[in-house]
Amino acid sequence: MPVSAYLIVSALLFTIGAVGVLVRRNPLVMFMSIELMLNAVNLSFMAFARFLNSVEGWIFVFLVLTVAAAEVVVGLAIIVSIFRSRRNIDVDELNLLKG
Amino acid sequence: MVNLTPWILAAPLVGFLALGLFGRLLPRVAVSVIGCGAVAVAFLLALWQFISMLSVAPDARVSTVTLWTWLTSGRLDVSLGLMLDPLAAIMLLIITGVGFLIHVYSIGYMADDPSYWRFFAYLNFFILAMALLVTADNFLFLLVGWAGVGLASFLLIGFWYTRPSAVAAARKAFVVNVIGDFGLMIAIFLIFGASGTLSYCGTLGVCSGNQDGPLLTHAIDPLHGVSSNVLLAIAIFLFIAAIAKSAQLPLHVWLPDAMEGPTPVSALIHAATMVTAGVYLVARASAIFTASPTALVVVAVIAGASALYAAIAACAQTDIKRVLAYSTISQLGYMFMGEAVEGYSSGIFHLTTHAYFKALLFMCAGAVIHALGGEQDMRKMGGLVGRLPRTFWMFVVGALSLSAIVPFAGFWSKDAILGDVLRKATDTGAPAWYALYGVGLLTATLTGYYIFRLLWLVFGGAYRGGAIGGHGRNDTAVEGHSAIGDPLASVHEPGPSMLVPMVILAILSLAGGLYGLPWNDWIGEFLSPTVHSVPGLPTSDPRFWISDIVGLSAALMGIVYAWLRYRSGRASVAEKDGPAVVFVRSGLGIDALYGAVIVRPLLALGRGLHTLVEDRILDGGTRGVGDLFAAGSRALRDLQTGYARNYAIWIFLGAALILLYFMIFPQLR
Repeated sequence: MPVSAYLIVSALLFTIGAVGVLVRRNPLVMFMSIELMLNAVNLSFMAFARFLNSVEGWIFVFLVLTVAAAEVVVGLAIIVSIFRSRRNIDVDELNLLKG
Repeated sequence: MVNLTPWILAAPLVGFLALGLFGRLLPRVAVSVIGCGAVAVAFLLALWQFISMLSVAPDARVSTVTLWTWLTSGRLDVSLGLMLDPLAAIMLLIITGVGFLIHVYSIGYMADDPSYWRFFAYLNFFILAMALLVTADNFLFLLVGWAGVGLASFLLIGFWYTRPSAVAAARKAFVVNVIGDFGLMIAIFLIFGASGTLSYCGTLGVCSGNQDGPLLTHAIDPLHGVSSNVLLAIAIFLFIAAIAKSAQLPLHVWLPDAMEGPTPVSALIHAATMVTAGVYLVARASAIFTASPTALVVVAVIAGASALYAAIAACAQTDIKRVLAYSTISQLGYMFMGEAVEGYSSGIFHLTTHAYFKALLFMCAGAVIHALGGEQDMRKMGGLVGRLPRTFWMFVVGALSLSAIVPFAGFWSKDAILGDVLRKATDTGAPAWYALYGVGLLTATLTGYYIFRLLWLVFGGAYRGGAIGGHGRNDTAVEGHSAIGDPLASVHEPGPSMLVPMVILAILSLAGGLYGLPWNDWIGEFLSPTVHSVPGLPTSDPRFWISDIVGLSAALMGIVYAWLRYRSGRASVAEKDGPAVVFVRSGLGIDALYGAVIVRPLLALGRGLHTLVEDRILDGGTRGVGDLFAAGSRALRDLQTGYARNYAIWIFLGAALILLYFMIFPQLR
């Protein structure tokens, strides 16, 4: 299959993830969408790594996965503490920085 | 000869600084001693150097002392140099001599004033500035002295600064004077442009040699190559300065109002010395004026017009000091008349005699005002001859000198001037100079009339005033202790500090003409090395006798008419305030004219500019910039919604735009 097939899938996934981040109000779903975006990018990297026969793509994927994992840890900890204090995790309620 | 001018300036400077800085803390006696002592020292030094001048040859009577060089810039080299020459010597004697007498007079006159020390400080400052004016050896420091006396005049007219009328008068005097300062500055620019230097040596040919051997070089004619138009312009601008300072038409309006100041100020500044600075200037620059006959015609026109106008206005005044103020304008007109026909020495001669009798007249007026507790309106005076006999007789001496009756000093000087005018008229045959002579005669008649009118209104007839307040100064009306019985019971002659200077000036008003007698014109000869005047008429010339007799009769006619009108109490009947009289009293409406044409439009313009430009454009502009930023920030504040999703949208949009940019312009490969 040509590389463009993989890239199109990656783009579609990325777009779906982006829209998900912007539209959904549940922070867990937003994080899932962010993960989707990150993995779409991973897909692009792997596609190029295979088609260009270079190993740098693999290394980049490692880095991205690590960062994604760390980010999820921190993000989930924040969400849990918000839930504990407010009992409600709608991001639209978090507008104390308004003004 | 000795040149002591630096010390003559130093004495009043020390007095001014001492009194200005510490006068408030010193007792009155100390203030009087320092104030009068400074001027006394200056006078003695002036006298000493004058006497030493007499022992050297006339050609060697110029000496310059350069104190320090102020600036050198290209061709211009200006230093504070003080020059002693015959003209400066005479002026210094008058300034310090009459100044000293007035300082002594002020001890008595200002005795009740709480700001006694400030008065003497300002007087000393004035003496300093005036002395600088007459001894400067270049036009720039002349200007410094010129501005200094203008400042002294402002400070002293507005001495009682809590009175709005005094403050307004002081401001008016200063504003009109600045017009003259402007003229002098333009003249200085022109002089520098024409001759590359500002010193009297380089421009007027009045030079001295080195410090050891003063040498006067007649032969220099530094203005030789200068075009006549430029000379005319220089002369005109110098004369503009003289018009403003010496209160000639049309810049005379400040002098009658300047009578708001204390009477010693009127005597010193507005009679004897400051207003004569213009006469001094024309005499000093006589070389320029003589080289420009058109300028002399201008001087003659203004002088004649001022003399006649002021004499007319003086006839209708009700305030005793305003009569004398207009009289000063008129007499200054005479001095300029003499200078207009190149009789500079007769102008200076009249300057000296006028200093004597005018200061005397002001002092007598001050004595009357003081005795009446501040009353200055002649309609409320009368019958004072019984209570103030000595003042009366000295007033008579001053009046006779002013009216130029033989053998008083004023006669010799005024007839020297009129003789010079007649000489010019008959030599050139031009009707204009005959007209000037006629104006001089008419003014002489009016002079005799108005001063004797004053005499009779004040001293003759019966007392027309009300109760007299305690003797104090013009601005307080302390309730008096008279009323029942004789309302004049508290009126008394002035004390010795006021009386002695008056007596000295009375003697001078009588004998002061002896140095300018037609058959022995000592003053003319004394001035001749540096001030080149055309000599006066000799006694062998029939015109001399014509001029003397006609002049004397003109004056006597005025006096007789005043006697007929005002003698023994007819005054209250004779003075009717018809519209013509009120018009003349207001100075023939010139103040009103200036008010309508110049003052009110300028004030309206100022107010208009304030509302239009300052409030709307300038303040509005600065406020507008602030408002702009405030509005902008209000708009931008709406971006901060606090919702993370909104921020996320903006991030995505930004990223998309950047991507688009790189897709369209792929140069960053």
